[in-house]
Amino acid sequence: MSNNIVSKFLNWMKSAAGFSITATIVIAVLASIASGPYLLVNTIVTGGMLALVATGLTLMLGVLNIAMFAHGEFFMIGSLTAYYVFTPISNYIGENPESFIAVIGPLIAMAGAAIVGAISGIVAEKLVFGPLRKRSTDNWVMNSFLLTVGLSMLLINLHQLIFGADFKGIVGYWTGMPVSIADVFISRDRAMAFVIAVIVVSLFWFFMTYTRTGMAIRAVSQDITGAQIVGIDIEKIVLLTISLACALSAVAGGSLLFMYPSYPTVGLEPLYLAWFVVILSGLGNILGAVAGAFMVALLKVITVEYIGAGWDFVVPSALIMLILIFKPSGIFGSDVRGALDK
Amino acid sequence: MDNTITSQQMNPFDKLLDKLCLTPVGLLGLVLLFALPYIPPFNQEYMLRWLIYCGFIAAMSVGFDLTAGYISIVNFGYAAVSGFGGYTSALLVINMGLSPWLAMAAGGITAGFMGLIIGMISLRLRGIFAACLSWFFGLAIMGLATKMVWLTRGPLGLRTPRLFETDSNAPFYFLMVILLFLIYLACKLIVRSKMGLAFQAIGQNMDAARASGINPVYYRVFNFTVSCAIAGILGGFYAHFYGILTPDVMHTSKTVEVLAVAYIGGRGSLWGGAVIAFPFIFIMEIVRSTLSNLPGLNLVIYSLVLILVMIYYPGGFSYFYDTHIRKPKNKVLRYFLNGRK
Repeated sequence: MSNNIVSKFLNWMKSAAGFSITATIVIAVLASIASGPYLLVNTIVTGGMLALVATGLTLMLGVLNIAMFAHGEFFMIGSLTAYYVFTPISNYIGENPESFIAVIGPLIAMAGAAIVGAISGIVAEKLVFGPLRKRSTDNWVMNSFLLTVGLSMLLINLHQLIFGADFKGIVGYWTGMPVSIADVFISRDRAMAFVIAVIVVSLFWFFMTYTRTGMAIRAVSQDITGAQIVGIDIEKIVLLTISLACALSAVAGGSLLFMYPSYPTVGLEPLYLAWFVVILSGLGNILGAVAGAFMVALLKVITVEYIGAGWDFVVPSALIMLILIFKPSGIFGSDVRGALDK
Repeated sequence: MDNTITSQQMNPFDKLLDKLCLTPVGLLGLVLLFALPYIPPFNQEYMLRWLIYCGFIAAMSVGFDLTAGYISIVNFGYAAVSGFGGYTSALLVINMGLSPWLAMAAGGITAGFMGLIIGMISLRLRGIFAACLSWFFGLAIMGLATKMVWLTRGPLGLRTPRLFETDSNAPFYFLMVILLFLIYLACKLIVRSKMGLAFQAIGQNMDAARASGINPVYYRVFNFTVSCAIAGILGGFYAHFYGILTPDVMHTSKTVEVLAVAYIGGRGSLWGGAVIAFPFIFIMEIVRSTLSNLPGLNLVIYSLVLILVMIYYPGGFSYFYDTHIRKPKNKVLRYFLNGRK
């Protein structure tokens, strides 16, 4: 029996997925031995948040066939909401530092970000994607993609118009001493950001795998006609998906507010990185996106460490171009690509 | 007008117009563009500056439309390729002492080479994947331009000598209009030839095109090369007009600006974007400068128009023109709008 497992494992190792995951882990371990464990910590925190944005993006691609260019803007909406929710809370905490709000306040801000993100996703669907879906005859993927380009520009400039272009940031969510794990000091905010990412991604994975609604969403992503035949309400699934995807991105924005202060174009970097993840892991593949998020995070961290800050667009985009050229379906592959390839 | 009139029966004027791919109304528009700097509100220097920017976006949208409208691939790195041409041209002038005119051409050639590479590596990909690939390519070029500080001075910007040694914007404006017309003419001639037919076939259905004996490799790469070479020449113009070049010209938002104009003007028409750019960008510049206490308002209007056009009128201005204006009853008017075809 054990022989069987070993041979299965070896086979998996030979596949692109197994190879790349193993390579990632090995490189991460080697790099952190060479330069210190903070590399590993940075990778894990960045990867956790990137996973949130990228799963939302890949969900939109898989279920709605929308190649979302405006996903970073929902990140921006999340961070903006968290800023406006958390500022009065932090004033209150400043007056009563011992109160129970000091622990729960940041969570309220993130929940607020998620709710506002979900609502804005629904508004976007009702005002923008819905009308296009009714009218679009052919070439839906390209047209909706260009539509999201317009949406992204609209949201960025609305932010600038209404809230101004200055940085709206906070000092930190949770005050107190940094957590120390194996001689590495991690600020509480970073640790919590990672914990939140893990919780949200695993809840989301559980929801997609085991609940009826999650199964319905997956069914729609595989075959819309088939899903309709077995009685799934497509309209409802579409609304649910778009609000989930936008809420995921907004949660990432909200919980990273201490790192990325809110300003009009804050969403562009997460957007680029999330696109790298999605191309790397294959469109519409949720678990793949989680693994891919850590790979891209590692790539970014290592590029910044060994080549220099600012090269973190050049090296990953060169690598992603290679992936697009030689393995356009991504390293984890996916069946969804056929639908997109029209 | 009868369509059976052959070219022998045309009078020389119509023949010339046909050779230049213009209709009488198009010629009138071109004459108007040349006369614009002498008409009172437009004869001020700052207005001319805006008009040059309009012309720049118009010409970019013509080149962009050659790819987006005909082979249905959105080149998302278009601004980056244009900036690459601009940087090549600027660096040649600064470091090698080349004349800006030659350098502009060199910028066009290198950008065309860039287009050749993008075209080659995106061959296997379709639709959204090709768009993503060109987008990442653009991001990579922009990252390089930002980081190669020893060469490009990074975000500080490169000071470039201008094409004409005057403070007046008028010669730049005339050059821009001439460039716009030449670019339009080149694209239109390509599209009118057998090649244009092949482009459209590839854009609509690649497999059917291949089955009828069209070699998509050649046509797609050719299309990319021409379109990117145009972007490179325009990038060179941009560099030697503004006198300063920062990596911002390569930003995706610049591509989006060109894309919006090309789509509002109408995909696959070439002239639509060029026509719409002048009033549209000009109004946007007015909004930007008069309501400077509301930063970003012009781009809000911009993106709203793009979204509304994409949803409710995907044909854009050229479709509107073709269906509602082009076929009037009056014979003279009809000749005026269509030429003698």
